Amino acid sequence: MFFHIVLERNMQLHPRHFGRNLRENLVSKLMKDVEGTCSGRHGFVVAITGIENVGKGLIRDGTGFVTFPVKYQCVVFRPFKGEILEAAVTMVNKMGFFAEAGPVQIFVSNHLIPDDMEFQSGDMPNYTTSDGSVKIQKDSEVRLKIIGTRVDATEIFCIGTIKDDFLGVINDPTTA
Amino acid sequence: MYLLTIYIQVPPRNHQTSPRFSTSFPHSPQALNTRTGHATTHAASPRVSYLRLLLLSRVLQPPQPLLLRSVRFLTRSLSSGPAFKFSTAQTKAHKQENEMSFATDSPVHSSSSDDFAALIDAELGVGSSGSSSDEHDNEEEEIDGDNDDNDHEENEDDGEDELTDHRNKRCKIEKLEDQELQGSTSQGLIEEKLEVSLKKDICTHPGSFGQMCILCGQRVDDESGVTFGYIHKGLRLGNDEIVRLRSTDMKNLLHHKKLYLVLDLDHTLLNSTLLNHLTSEEEYLKAQSDSLQDVSKGSLFMLDFMHMMTKLRPFVRTFLKEASEMFEMYIYTMGDRPYALEMAKLLDPKQEYFSGRVISRDDGTQKHQKGLDVVLGQESAVVILDDTENAWTKHKDNLILMERYHFFASSCHQFGFNCKSLSQLKNDESEPDGALASVLKVLRQVHHIFFDELDSDLASRDVRQVLKIVRKDVLKDCKIIFSRVFPTKFQAENHLLWKMAEQLGATCSTETDSSVTHVVSTDAGTEKSRWAVKENKFLVHPRWIEAANFLWQKQPEEKFPVSQTKNQ
Repeated sequence: MFFHIVLERNMQLHPRHFGRNLRENLVSKLMKDVEGTCSGRHGFVVAITGIENVGKGLIRDGTGFVTFPVKYQCVVFRPFKGEILEAAVTMVNKMGFFAEAGPVQIFVSNHLIPDDMEFQSGDMPNYTTSDGSVKIQKDSEVRLKIIGTRVDATEIFCIGTIKDDFLGVINDPTTA
Repeated sequence: MYLLTIYIQVPPRNHQTSPRFSTSFPHSPQALNTRTGHATTHAASPRVSYLRLLLLSRVLQPPQPLLLRSVRFLTRSLSSGPAFKFSTAQTKAHKQENEMSFATDSPVHSSSSDDFAALIDAELGVGSSGSSSDEHDNEEEEIDGDNDDNDHEENEDDGEDELTDHRNKRCKIEKLEDQELQGSTSQGLIEEKLEVSLKKDICTHPGSFGQMCILCGQRVDDESGVTFGYIHKGLRLGNDEIVRLRSTDMKNLLHHKKLYLVLDLDHTLLNSTLLNHLTSEEEYLKAQSDSLQDVSKGSLFMLDFMHMMTKLRPFVRTFLKEASEMFEMYIYTMGDRPYALEMAKLLDPKQEYFSGRVISRDDGTQKHQKGLDVVLGQESAVVILDDTENAWTKHKDNLILMERYHFFASSCHQFGFNCKSLSQLKNDESEPDGALASVLKVLRQVHHIFFDELDSDLASRDVRQVLKIVRKDVLKDCKIIFSRVFPTKFQAENHLLWKMAEQLGATCSTETDSSVTHVVSTDAGTEKSRWAVKENKFLVHPRWIEAANFLWQKQPEEKFPVSQTKNQ
């Protein structure tokens, strides 16, 4: 799920950036530092949408660096248990399949794939129903339900299931 | 496992309400579906069904969390959730009147919900025929109380019912997290613990991904089982799960008439050297290397970014293509992961042979050892191709030992050969009858015997037995005596060559007699050697046995003459 929230961060800025463009430098450094990172609390920071306010800078003794407390608005993405997500399949093997929803890695074990879907090995491994009408392979898009999440410093892991009503393939690359 | 049957049916005359109802409904039947089998819908109104559920939940001891949840859901859908406006209105009205009838002033779907309300009214009348209305009221109050508690509990529950709760919470992520961290009511905590322990009884945690159970999504911290880092980072499987996967995979594979083949890289399929280890005589190779744009045709590659040069063994492309029809192939190398992946790209540019089954030393479970425990294939169906026997101490029976492929001079030096390397001689192994071609013949034979000649049940066949049979055929009908091969006082039966010869199907002896066919000797001057010449027996060098061992074929004896040593 996406959230638009306000976060705060202390930014250290090198003295060479002081001057007319101080603010721009601060913002671009903030974007570089924050976008694409993960925190257990807020999930994955997708993008900074605006700066709320930049506090008073504090000059560090000895280095000349200045620390600014910056409040910024950003869009974060955090998966929740029970959430329904759409994800792209990245790898299929006999244990199940891996899918990605943006930065989130989701594993769907073969226990949580409907029983009528069987694993087919080969150069394009896939899970297929006995009548061949539904096929999950690399690059398929699936709708799945998150049943467990863990947020690392840099990654988000999820366990998903498609063994439920209204879940499964929503777009097959072979037919598209 | 309780098989739970819920009866819910909205009669046809309420067509407008039924879709709305079913779209909001998946939440509970789904949850039920996963554990309690089938949730059938039938008769009565939602209100009646939740009462039935409640009764059921009292009958079934201990209370099932799922059951509770579905009761909760139904309760909420009737009484609290803003998404179910019409029923909320009805319930409120119902509360006010304290009777078993609904008001007809629903603001949202007036006409349809009127019908619905009337229906519920009627149905409840039927449903409550056996019990008094007071009882119903008490029950409802209880449920309302439960529902409040449940809301607390669910907030902590890391969004157990996140979707429904989001309606209330909107985007208050901060608040949610605070509650997650602290836990609000002790009752909630207890209930949560109860649920956890109940779930643990059900889930065996067959494996984990990022320290979460792959089946129930709970955190698991135990370090048991085997990591499968080569498949995906953070994936770990328990031993039972591995056994299960192997046996299902085995059936699948045997159905496709395939076995497993584990391939080593260095000295088996290719030879690599660091660029700065190239001798001056080998500098010419730099100009001859093939382009990395289309690796499917070339065989000599310069990988500048890895400071390496790699030569693929002749015949390797044909070998892989043909072997892939009989085997599911793995790469298993003692090199590190980036190297292994890079080599896999050279060997298999289209990713049709290995598709992620590339195991490097970082993925093994033991240092300096290769093991089949990280290979998801039953040991009785795995054939290994490797040049180093010592790496596979536990799986020698599965191993087909390969003659080492030394193309670069540095590789020769590494193994202590002082001869010129193939690259220095501007030569290479022969394509049609090199080591890979001969081993492919062996693999074909093994495959053929395994699937077409054995009588036993397919699942009970063992490729190790087949390998033994094939090996025994190589020097069949040979009777060998050794001369000046083993050191004096050495127990001849324990010598490597003796064992090798016996594995190849030859009979070994220490005494000369007329049945002997070959005399293996390092010196033509010994008594036994002279006897061989006199009796017109084959006199061969010990390398004859080694060559047969590598090439799986009796070699022409003339190629391995024994010379007279000078001091004789």
